Amino acid sequence: MAETATSWAPRSAWAGVVQAGQIGVAGAAGVTATLLDGFGLATLIAAPGGTLALSQLVESRIGITLPTTPKIVPGASHDAIWSGPDQWLLRASTREGFGSLLEALSAQAAVSDQSDARAAMRLTGPRVRDILAKGVMLDLHPSTFVVGDTALTSIAHIGVHLWRLADGPDGSVFEIMVARSMVGSFWSWFAASAAEFGCQVSIDRSTGRG
Amino acid sequence: MRITCPHCGARDAQEFSYLGAADLQRPEGMAASEAAMADYVYQRDNPAGLHRELWYHGAGCHAWLVVTRDTRNHAITAVEPAKTRKAGAAA
Repeated sequence: MAETATSWAPRSAWAGVVQAGQIGVAGAAGVTATLLDGFGLATLIAAPGGTLALSQLVESRIGITLPTTPKIVPGASHDAIWSGPDQWLLRASTREGFGSLLEALSAQAAVSDQSDARAAMRLTGPRVRDILAKGVMLDLHPSTFVVGDTALTSIAHIGVHLWRLADGPDGSVFEIMVARSMVGSFWSWFAASAAEFGCQVSIDRSTGRG
Repeated sequence: MRITCPHCGARDAQEFSYLGAADLQRPEGMAASEAAMADYVYQRDNPAGLHRELWYHGAGCHAWLVVTRDTRNHAITAVEPAKTRKAGAAA
Protein backbone atom coordinates (compact mmCIF):
# COMPACT_ATOMS: atom_id res chain seq x y z
CA MET A 1 0.00 0.00 0.00
CA ALA A 2 1.50 3.32 -1.07
CA GLU A 3 1.63 5.98 1.60
CA THR A 4 0.08 9.29 0.66
CA ALA A 5 1.84 12.43 1.85
CA THR A 6 -0.26 14.22 4.44
CA SER A 7 0.12 16.69 7.27
CA TRP A 8 -2.18 14.63 9.44
CA ALA A 9 -0.58 13.08 12.48
CA PRO A 10 -1.56 9.66 13.78
CA ARG A 11 -3.38 9.85 17.08
CA SER A 12 -3.59 7.26 19.80
CA ALA A 13 -6.93 5.53 20.22
CA TRP A 14 -6.81 6.68 23.85
CA ALA A 15 -5.99 10.31 23.06
CA GLY A 16 -8.50 12.77 24.41
CA VAL A 17 -10.04 10.18 26.72
CA VAL A 18 -7.30 9.02 29.07
CA GLN A 19 -4.31 10.73 30.57
CA ALA A 20 -1.39 9.28 32.46
CA GLY A 21 -1.54 9.54 36.22
CA GLN A 22 -3.34 8.11 39.21
CA ILE A 23 -7.09 7.66 39.14
CA GLY A 24 -9.31 6.84 42.08
CA VAL A 25 -7.98 6.66 45.61
CA ALA A 26 -4.46 7.89 46.31
CA GLY A 27 -1.69 5.75 47.69
CA ALA A 28 -0.43 2.39 46.50
CA ALA A 29 -2.31 1.56 43.30
CA GLY A 30 -4.34 -1.64 43.31
CA VAL A 31 -3.83 -1.97 39.60
CA THR A 32 -1.56 -0.59 36.93
CA ALA A 33 -2.95 0.15 33.49
CA THR A 34 -0.65 0.58 30.53
CA LEU A 35 -2.22 1.99 27.41
CA LEU A 36 -0.71 0.27 24.40
CA ASP A 37 -0.13 1.99 21.14
CA GLY A 38 1.72 1.68 17.90
CA PHE A 39 1.23 -2.04 17.49
CA GLY A 40 0.22 -3.58 14.19
CA LEU A 41 -3.01 -5.54 14.19
CA ALA A 42 -4.86 -7.53 11.58
CA THR A 43 -7.63 -10.07 11.39
CA LEU A 44 -6.88 -13.31 9.59
CA ILE A 45 -9.70 -15.54 8.39
CA ALA A 46 -8.79 -18.84 6.80
CA ALA A 47 -10.66 -20.08 3.79
CA PRO A 48 -12.85 -23.14 4.44
CA GLY A 49 -10.45 -26.04 4.92
CA GLY A 50 -7.48 -23.70 4.64
CA THR A 51 -6.50 -23.46 8.29
CA LEU A 52 -3.53 -25.80 8.02
CA ALA A 53 -2.09 -24.04 4.98
CA LEU A 54 -2.47 -20.66 6.67
CA SER A 55 -0.93 -21.94 9.89
CA GLN A 56 2.07 -23.29 8.01
CA LEU A 57 2.51 -20.01 6.17
CA VAL A 58 2.34 -18.02 9.41
CA GLU A 59 4.82 -20.38 11.05
CA SER A 60 7.27 -20.09 8.17
CA ARG A 61 7.08 -16.28 8.22
CA ILE A 62 7.06 -15.43 11.93
CA GLY A 63 7.63 -18.69 13.77
CA ILE A 64 4.37 -18.96 15.69
CA THR A 65 1.53 -21.41 15.32
CA LEU A 66 -2.09 -20.35 15.12
CA PRO A 67 -4.11 -21.57 18.12
CA THR A 68 -7.25 -23.57 17.33
CA THR A 69 -8.78 -23.00 20.77
CA PRO A 70 -9.26 -19.69 22.64
CA LYS A 71 -5.57 -19.07 23.32
CA ILE A 72 -2.95 -16.47 22.62
CA VAL A 73 0.34 -17.71 21.20
CA PRO A 74 2.92 -15.05 21.99
CA GLY A 75 6.05 -14.75 19.90
CA ALA A 76 9.16 -12.62 19.89
CA SER A 77 7.71 -10.02 17.54
CA HIS A 78 4.18 -11.19 16.85
CA ASP A 79 1.26 -12.67 18.80
CA ALA A 80 -1.46 -14.86 17.35
CA ILE A 81 -4.73 -14.48 19.21
CA TRP A 82 -7.69 -16.77 18.62
CA SER A 83 -10.76 -14.74 17.71
CA GLY A 84 -13.29 -17.33 16.57
CA PRO A 85 -13.28 -20.56 14.62
CA ASP A 86 -10.68 -20.26 11.83
CA GLN A 87 -10.14 -16.60 12.76
CA TRP A 88 -7.25 -14.88 14.47
CA LEU A 89 -5.89 -11.51 15.41
CA LEU A 90 -2.27 -11.07 14.46
CA ARG A 91 -0.52 -8.46 16.52
CA ALA A 92 2.92 -7.10 15.70
CA SER A 93 4.97 -5.17 18.24
CA THR A 94 5.79 -2.65 15.52
CA ARG A 95 4.19 -1.69 12.22
CA GLU A 96 7.49 -1.86 10.40
CA GLY A 97 7.20 -4.53 7.73
CA PHE A 98 3.67 -5.37 8.85
CA GLY A 99 2.12 -4.42 5.52
CA SER A 100 4.36 -6.73 3.54
CA LEU A 101 3.74 -9.55 6.01
CA LEU A 102 -0.01 -9.13 5.60
CA GLU A 103 0.38 -9.09 1.86
CA ALA A 104 2.20 -12.42 2.03
CA LEU A 105 -0.41 -13.93 4.36
CA SER A 106 -3.22 -12.83 2.08
CA ALA A 107 -2.27 -15.74 -0.16
CA GLN A 108 -3.90 -18.06 2.40
CA ALA A 109 -6.32 -15.86 4.33
CA ALA A 110 -8.73 -13.00 4.19
CA VAL A 111 -6.62 -10.31 5.84
CA SER A 112 -7.84 -6.99 7.17
CA ASP A 113 -5.52 -4.45 8.74
CA GLN A 114 -7.03 -3.25 12.03
CA SER A 115 -4.00 -1.45 13.42
CA ASP A 116 -5.84 1.80 14.08
CA ALA A 117 -9.22 0.22 14.76
CA ARG A 118 -8.70 -1.08 18.27
CA ALA A 119 -7.53 0.25 21.57
CA ALA A 120 -5.56 -2.02 23.87
CA MET A 121 -4.57 -1.85 27.51
CA ARG A 122 -2.44 -4.02 29.79
CA LEU A 123 -3.55 -4.52 33.38
CA THR A 124 -1.66 -5.91 36.32
CA GLY A 125 -1.66 -5.51 40.06
CA PRO A 126 -3.12 -7.16 43.15
CA ARG A 127 -6.70 -5.97 42.51
CA VAL A 128 -6.89 -6.61 38.78
CA ARG A 129 -9.44 -9.41 39.13
CA ASP A 130 -11.59 -7.36 41.48
CA ILE A 131 -11.91 -4.71 38.79
CA LEU A 132 -12.54 -7.14 35.97
CA ALA A 133 -15.15 -8.96 38.06
CA LYS A 134 -17.31 -5.84 37.92
CA GLY A 135 -17.74 -6.21 34.19
CA VAL A 136 -16.59 -9.58 32.91
CA MET A 137 -19.12 -12.38 33.16
CA LEU A 138 -16.44 -15.08 32.94
CA ASP A 139 -14.63 -16.86 35.74
CA LEU A 140 -11.16 -15.34 35.68
CA HIS A 141 -9.85 -17.30 38.66
CA PRO A 142 -6.17 -18.16 38.09
CA SER A 143 -6.95 -21.86 37.95
CA THR A 144 -9.75 -21.44 35.41
CA PHE A 145 -8.53 -18.64 33.16
CA VAL A 146 -4.89 -19.67 32.86
CA VAL A 147 -1.93 -17.95 31.27
CA GLY A 148 -2.47 -17.93 27.52
CA ASP A 149 -6.26 -18.08 27.67
CA THR A 150 -8.26 -15.57 25.65
CA ALA A 151 -11.94 -14.76 25.53
CA LEU A 152 -14.29 -12.73 23.41
CA THR A 153 -17.02 -11.39 25.62
CA SER A 154 -18.56 -8.13 26.68
CA ILE A 155 -18.07 -5.62 29.45
CA ALA A 156 -20.92 -3.20 30.12
CA HIS A 157 -22.40 -4.16 26.73
CA ILE A 158 -19.12 -3.32 25.00
CA GLY A 159 -17.52 -6.09 23.00
CA VAL A 160 -14.07 -6.88 24.37
CA HIS A 161 -11.28 -9.28 23.56
CA LEU A 162 -9.18 -10.13 26.58
CA TRP A 163 -6.35 -12.51 27.33
CA ARG A 164 -3.94 -13.41 30.07
CA LEU A 165 -0.19 -13.12 29.54
CA ALA A 166 2.62 -14.67 31.57
CA ASP A 167 2.64 -13.42 35.15
CA GLY A 168 4.78 -10.38 35.88
CA PRO A 169 6.30 -8.95 39.07
CA ASP A 170 2.86 -7.67 40.15
CA GLY A 171 1.09 -10.96 39.54
CA SER A 172 -1.38 -11.78 36.79
CA VAL A 173 -1.25 -9.75 33.59
CA PHE A 174 -4.29 -9.20 31.41
CA GLU A 175 -4.71 -7.31 28.18
CA ILE A 176 -8.02 -5.98 26.98
CA MET A 177 -8.80 -4.79 23.48
CA VAL A 178 -11.89 -2.83 22.48
CA ALA A 179 -13.07 -1.15 19.33
CA ARG A 180 -11.56 2.30 19.05
CA SER A 181 -14.98 3.91 18.79
CA MET A 182 -15.93 2.44 22.17
CA VAL A 183 -12.92 3.77 24.09
CA GLY A 184 -14.89 6.55 25.79
CA SER A 185 -17.59 4.21 27.04
CA PHE A 186 -15.10 1.54 28.02
CA TRP A 187 -12.98 3.99 29.96
CA SER A 188 -16.04 5.28 31.75
CA TRP A 189 -16.67 1.75 33.01
CA PHE A 190 -13.04 1.09 33.79
CA ALA A 191 -12.36 4.34 35.66
CA ALA A 192 -15.46 3.91 37.81
CA SER A 193 -14.62 0.28 38.53
CA ALA A 194 -10.96 0.92 39.35
CA ALA A 195 -11.49 4.03 41.47
CA GLU A 196 -11.92 2.29 44.81
CA PHE A 197 -8.63 0.41 44.39
CA GLY A 198 -6.60 3.23 42.85
CA CYS A 199 -5.10 2.82 39.40
CA GLN A 200 -1.83 4.07 38.02
CA VAL A 201 -2.22 4.82 34.31
CA SER A 202 0.77 4.99 32.06
CA ILE A 203 1.10 5.27 28.33
CA ASP A 204 3.41 3.04 26.36
CA ARG A 205 5.20 5.62 24.28
CA SER A 206 7.52 3.13 22.67
CA THR A 207 6.44 4.33 19.27
CA GLY A 208 6.49 8.02 20.07
CA ARG A 209 2.73 8.39 19.86
CA GLY A 210 0.21 8.95 22.56
CA MET B 1 -29.83 -19.40 31.02
CA ARG B 2 -26.35 -20.26 29.90
CA ILE B 3 -25.34 -21.69 26.54
CA THR B 4 -22.16 -23.70 26.23
CA CYS B 5 -20.67 -22.41 23.01
CA PRO B 6 -18.59 -25.18 21.39
CA HIS B 7 -15.90 -22.59 20.69
CA CYS B 8 -15.95 -20.33 23.76
CA GLY B 9 -17.38 -22.40 26.60
CA ALA B 10 -20.35 -21.65 28.86
CA ARG B 11 -21.61 -18.10 28.43
CA ASP B 12 -24.59 -16.11 29.61
CA ALA B 13 -27.52 -16.04 27.19
CA GLN B 14 -27.21 -12.26 26.83
CA GLU B 15 -24.13 -12.84 24.67
CA PHE B 16 -26.36 -14.57 22.11
CA SER B 17 -29.15 -13.59 19.77
CA TYR B 18 -32.03 -15.92 18.99
CA LEU B 19 -33.16 -16.53 15.44
CA GLY B 20 -35.68 -19.36 15.55
CA ALA B 21 -36.26 -22.87 14.33
CA ALA B 22 -33.12 -24.46 12.94
CA ASP B 23 -34.51 -26.96 10.51
CA LEU B 24 -36.77 -25.00 8.19
CA GLN B 25 -36.56 -26.19 4.60
CA ARG B 26 -37.12 -23.59 1.92
CA PRO B 27 -39.43 -24.90 -0.81
CA GLU B 28 -37.52 -25.70 -3.97
CA GLY B 29 -37.23 -23.14 -6.73
CA MET B 30 -39.63 -20.75 -8.41
CA ALA B 31 -42.24 -23.46 -8.81
CA ALA B 32 -42.97 -23.52 -5.07
CA SER B 33 -46.63 -22.86 -4.42
CA GLU B 34 -47.83 -19.78 -2.61
CA ALA B 35 -49.21 -21.97 0.17
CA ALA B 36 -45.88 -23.75 0.61
CA MET B 37 -44.03 -20.43 0.78
CA ALA B 38 -46.54 -19.05 3.29
CA ASP B 39 -46.00 -22.12 5.43
CA TYR B 40 -42.23 -21.72 5.20
CA VAL B 41 -42.27 -18.03 6.08
CA TYR B 42 -45.00 -17.92 8.72
CA GLN B 43 -45.92 -21.30 10.14
CA ARG B 44 -43.97 -22.50 13.14
CA ASP B 45 -44.31 -25.38 15.50
CA ASN B 46 -44.59 -24.38 19.13
CA PRO B 47 -43.41 -27.53 20.85
CA ALA B 48 -43.57 -28.11 24.58
CA GLY B 49 -40.33 -30.05 24.72
CA LEU B 50 -37.18 -30.34 22.66
CA HIS B 51 -36.65 -27.62 20.08
CA ARG B 52 -33.72 -27.19 17.69
CA GLU B 53 -33.07 -23.49 17.24
CA LEU B 54 -30.48 -21.09 15.88
CA TRP B 55 -28.52 -18.81 18.17
CA TYR B 56 -25.84 -16.32 17.16
CA HIS B 57 -22.89 -15.75 19.47
CA GLY B 58 -22.69 -12.07 18.65
CA ALA B 59 -20.77 -10.97 21.74
CA GLY B 60 -18.31 -13.82 21.38
CA CYS B 61 -16.97 -15.82 18.46
CA HIS B 62 -19.67 -14.72 15.98
CA ALA B 63 -20.58 -18.30 15.20
CA TRP B 64 -24.09 -19.49 14.43
CA LEU B 65 -25.08 -22.38 16.68
CA VAL B 66 -27.82 -24.99 16.67
CA VAL B 67 -29.06 -25.33 20.22
CA THR B 68 -31.35 -28.16 21.31
CA ARG B 69 -33.39 -26.73 24.16
CA ASP B 70 -36.32 -28.04 26.15
CA THR B 71 -38.87 -25.24 25.96
CA ARG B 72 -40.43 -26.35 29.25
CA ASN B 73 -37.39 -25.85 31.47
CA HIS B 74 -34.66 -24.35 29.22
CA ALA B 75 -32.49 -27.43 29.69
CA ILE B 76 -30.01 -27.52 26.83
CA THR B 77 -29.02 -30.96 25.63
CA ALA B 78 -26.85 -30.14 22.61
CA VAL B 79 -25.04 -27.21 21.03
CA GLU B 80 -23.31 -27.57 17.70
CA PRO B 81 -21.88 -25.14 15.17
CA ALA B 82 -24.50 -24.49 12.50
CA LYS B 83 -21.91 -24.86 9.76
CA THR B 84 -21.27 -28.50 10.62
CA ARG B 85 -24.87 -29.66 10.97
CA LYS B 86 -26.52 -31.79 8.37
CA ALA B 87 -28.73 -29.57 6.25
CA GLY B 88 -32.37 -30.17 7.09
CA ALA B 89 -31.62 -32.71 9.79
CA ALA B 90 -34.73 -33.88 11.57
CA ALA B 91 -35.49 -32.33 14.92
